[in-house]
Amino acid sequence: MTTVHVFLSKLRALFQKQKLEGELADEIQSHLEMQIEDLVRQGLNPEEARYSALRKFGGVEQIKETYRTRRTLPGLETFLRDIRYGLRMLRRSPGMTAVAIFSLALGIGANTALFSVVDAVLLKNLPVEHPEQLVVFEWQSGRPFRLSGMSGTSNVDVPPGRRGVSMFRYDVYQQMQKAQASETGSPLSDLFAFGPIAAVTAKVGDQPDVINGQAISGNYYSTLRVQPILGRAITVDDDRSGAAPVVMLSYQFWQERFGANRDVIGQQLQLNQQSFTVIGVTPPAFNGTLQVGFYPSITIPLAVEPQLRGEQSLLGATPASGVWWLNVMGRLQPNATQQQARDSLNTVFQTAALAAMPPPRRSNQPAQIESKDYPSLIVEAGSQGMMDRRKSYAPTIYGLFIVVAIVLLIACVNLANLLLARATSRGPEIKVRLAVGAGRWRLIRQLLTESLLLATLGGIVGVLFAYWFKGALSAFTNEESGLLPSGVNLILSWRVLGFTLAVSLLTGVLFGLAPAWRATNLDLNSTLKQTGRATASMSRLSKGLLVVQVAVSALLLVGAGLFIRTLHNLQHVDLGFNQEKLLIFALQPDKAGYKDERLLGFYQQLLDRLDQLPGVRGATFAKVQLIANDNYINDFLLPGETAETGTDHETMRQMVRENYFATMEIPFLRGRGFTLRDDQHAPAVGIVNQTFQQKFFPNGDVVGQRITNNYHNRQVEIVGVVADTKYESQRDEIKPLLYTPWKQEADDIGDMHFAVRTTGDPATLVTQVRAAVHDLDSNLPVTDIDTQSARSEMTLAQERLYARLFTAFGALALALAGIGLFGVLAYSVSQRTKEIGIRMAFGAQVRNVIVMVVYQGMKLVLIGLAISSLVGYALIRLLNSKYFGPNTWQQRMKGQLYGVTMGDPWTLVVIASLLTVVALLACWFPAHRAAKVDPLVALRYE
Amino acid sequence: MGRDSKHEVLPGTLNLLILKTLDTLGPLHGYGIARRIEQVSGDILELNQGTIYPALLKLEQMRWIRTRWSTSENNRRAKFYFLTAAGKKQLAKEEEEWQRTSAIVTRFLSPSEK
Repeated sequence: MTTVHVFLSKLRALFQKQKLEGELADEIQSHLEMQIEDLVRQGLNPEEARYSALRKFGGVEQIKETYRTRRTLPGLETFLRDIRYGLRMLRRSPGMTAVAIFSLALGIGANTALFSVVDAVLLKNLPVEHPEQLVVFEWQSGRPFRLSGMSGTSNVDVPPGRRGVSMFRYDVYQQMQKAQASETGSPLSDLFAFGPIAAVTAKVGDQPDVINGQAISGNYYSTLRVQPILGRAITVDDDRSGAAPVVMLSYQFWQERFGANRDVIGQQLQLNQQSFTVIGVTPPAFNGTLQVGFYPSITIPLAVEPQLRGEQSLLGATPASGVWWLNVMGRLQPNATQQQARDSLNTVFQTAALAAMPPPRRSNQPAQIESKDYPSLIVEAGSQGMMDRRKSYAPTIYGLFIVVAIVLLIACVNLANLLLARATSRGPEIKVRLAVGAGRWRLIRQLLTESLLLATLGGIVGVLFAYWFKGALSAFTNEESGLLPSGVNLILSWRVLGFTLAVSLLTGVLFGLAPAWRATNLDLNSTLKQTGRATASMSRLSKGLLVVQVAVSALLLVGAGLFIRTLHNLQHVDLGFNQEKLLIFALQPDKAGYKDERLLGFYQQLLDRLDQLPGVRGATFAKVQLIANDNYINDFLLPGETAETGTDHETMRQMVRENYFATMEIPFLRGRGFTLRDDQHAPAVGIVNQTFQQKFFPNGDVVGQRITNNYHNRQVEIVGVVADTKYESQRDEIKPLLYTPWKQEADDIGDMHFAVRTTGDPATLVTQVRAAVHDLDSNLPVTDIDTQSARSEMTLAQERLYARLFTAFGALALALAGIGLFGVLAYSVSQRTKEIGIRMAFGAQVRNVIVMVVYQGMKLVLIGLAISSLVGYALIRLLNSKYFGPNTWQQRMKGQLYGVTMGDPWTLVVIASLLTVVALLACWFPAHRAAKVDPLVALRYE
Repeated sequence: MGRDSKHEVLPGTLNLLILKTLDTLGPLHGYGIARRIEQVSGDILELNQGTIYPALLKLEQMRWIRTRWSTSENNRRAKFYFLTAAGKKQLAKEEEEWQRTSAIVTRFLSPSEK
């Protein structure tokens, strides 16, 4: 209590310094006068009395000093004094202060924004109680272990020859859950499962909509300890077979589609044309535990998943039909370890998984596999939910982080240089202060306070910049750019602001320490006599800093150049089809119950209508959307091969309308095209691309050959060959591709991507196309409607982002380096005025002076360029070496380049020239000023 | 060597002396306190009068004493110090502590009682 009183009263004293100082003087004065009065009364004469009073009192100044240090907080007081002084110094050179704060703010702002991305994507825990208790289950097996359905990617490093899988079958999960529940003293408090359900058609009011959903086990919410904000959560009772179908809405879906109506509880929601009762709304912060970027709008119990998906249910009515599609997580008991959790369930899992292994499809697959290939369970930390997708964003994020860190570094170097120059001009002041006995540490502390002040101001402005950067980064949150998962909320949380503060202080020390050290490192004897030597040795440090700046800017600019060329190459790559004047959209009639003849009839009607639209030259569709990172792969057997002997021949697939090649303008090379006669009753035919011919039939004609689909065991006769096209993306290496006519693939065309070739601007046809679909079936949502060229551009979002960011930051770095060069040269010229005057007096020409100054600057630039080439060369060697594994983010970053090598001579020449021009410009002005030196004035000066 | 007969104020006892003085005499200025301490000690305490000011500041920061500017008996403006309730309590505590300490020390030093 008393310590608080003391502290508060000291703090108060800090702001009443003047008043308290006066009071102290008065008090002592009155003390002395009273003493003198008493002494005079005792008979001393006034002079003696005065002397005696002072002696009795003790040293007045000494007492005052003791009093002062005790009155307030001396450390804090000095600190405040330094800040006041620092602010005064900053105000004195507003131009430099503005440049410093602005460049720092850019650097710190960019770093803050990037850190908010790291925080949101890579660091943030699930918003549930005790997230650290959560674990994710995955498993690994030898390759011979067979599984049906999807596997998911595992983020665990998988040993060669094994596979990592993050998904489970429903029956396998059920057995694990049962084992866990019946085990006394289990290390887990519970085990829950959840799986994504993509593309659910939901009808709210009149408007059909395609949304994402998920199915969960009944104990999901109770184990995660998540409470609904409205209604109730799904429970174990809802997850029994035969239970009434219920659904929970996500907060966002409830807000957007139900206008946050609280009466929604108890209403019926139509999902894939089935009725589900709405029972609750999940809290806004909780987006589920699925992959980041996949945010389910609706959640249903696993038991009613078959009602939603009908025949496409993944639960598996029979043991043979189950699919590996569920994620499994658990919550550890307090003090239990991940290893204990793994060991407690591994045996159950292994038995269940082996029982679920489908029988061999080929004779070279053994019915039983060796025990070394048995699947075995793995447990990972689950505090962030499923992480594998998150991790795939790491390369971009770290790549960008390096760039912004470099920019900040350049800003620091620049500031260090500016401060160094200023410290030199403040040399006399510092010298005097050192000479009258100020401690060196005290001076360094004061200079550091100034640089920390700059850094803090930069940090504050930087947070404002970060808001702006954040907005720009959010624009890149979509699947295509791959930079950020969609729906990620970037918040400047306390953790992010803490990071900003730390970065600001670090930069303050970083750019402040060297100049402060140098500025106070003066040999008093020599510096008081003359100034020459000190400045010469100081500019050596600033020259070094300049060289570093030039080198780093050059590296960034080369990066920018490489990405600009990459983008340009990708934008001008030959896609193999004409993407201009093409309107595209997607439909999923299978979700609305269309199949077989009804599906074919619907498509035929729709395509006919589209063909008739004014401004349309032709309408077609295909299974796989082009240049959208989408694919469909099958294994085929070549003629003469059997399932027993053959190896897999992987080929891309495409199911198309008969007019596909004409409409997409894909050149036809040989054989015949598809005709209306190639329908479900006719023999199966196919058309292949050129690469298919070259790869699988290098020595003969592919036309007339029969290949066998390994999956359906169905023969297809190849009737024609078309030119190659890009398939998944602009970067594609062309792969073998098999086209088949749509009517012969009725099972596979439940969802299709349409393409409408127009005579004019395709964007003007959007309403007519929507209307055409609506006329046929008003329940069918039209999705992903766009032009093909816009769609293709979208896949380049990441490349564009790189090109833009590198260019912006490269330009910034170049500007900073230019300013730095200019500043240091201008300063050096002003220091050498006398010398230049003497040279001119002795007959040096204006030309010689200019050359001298320009040479002084350009020498540094050339050294910087030389160093950057060496570093660049080393970097290339490092990336080409085996040091970074094939899947490290460094390699993936390198893999971003397209059609250009890291040492691209064109880029290097252009960047080097650009830098040289800017540097010459920065040298020109100081040189010009030097040339204007009048020898007479210069020599009279000083 | 007259100085030898004088004594320095024992460390830590100055607070006690000041508090006791204010308790006995009521509100008093710094000079008055200094004089009182000298007089009571029979002028054997060697006190740099100035040193009581930092001590007074400390007591004030502890909120054991308060101050106000007022006029002295000789019509002179001076800063007067007076005890607070907390100060009274503190004085009682310090007095008791001092009694106990000195009793123990005395017992140690008296040779008759072993």
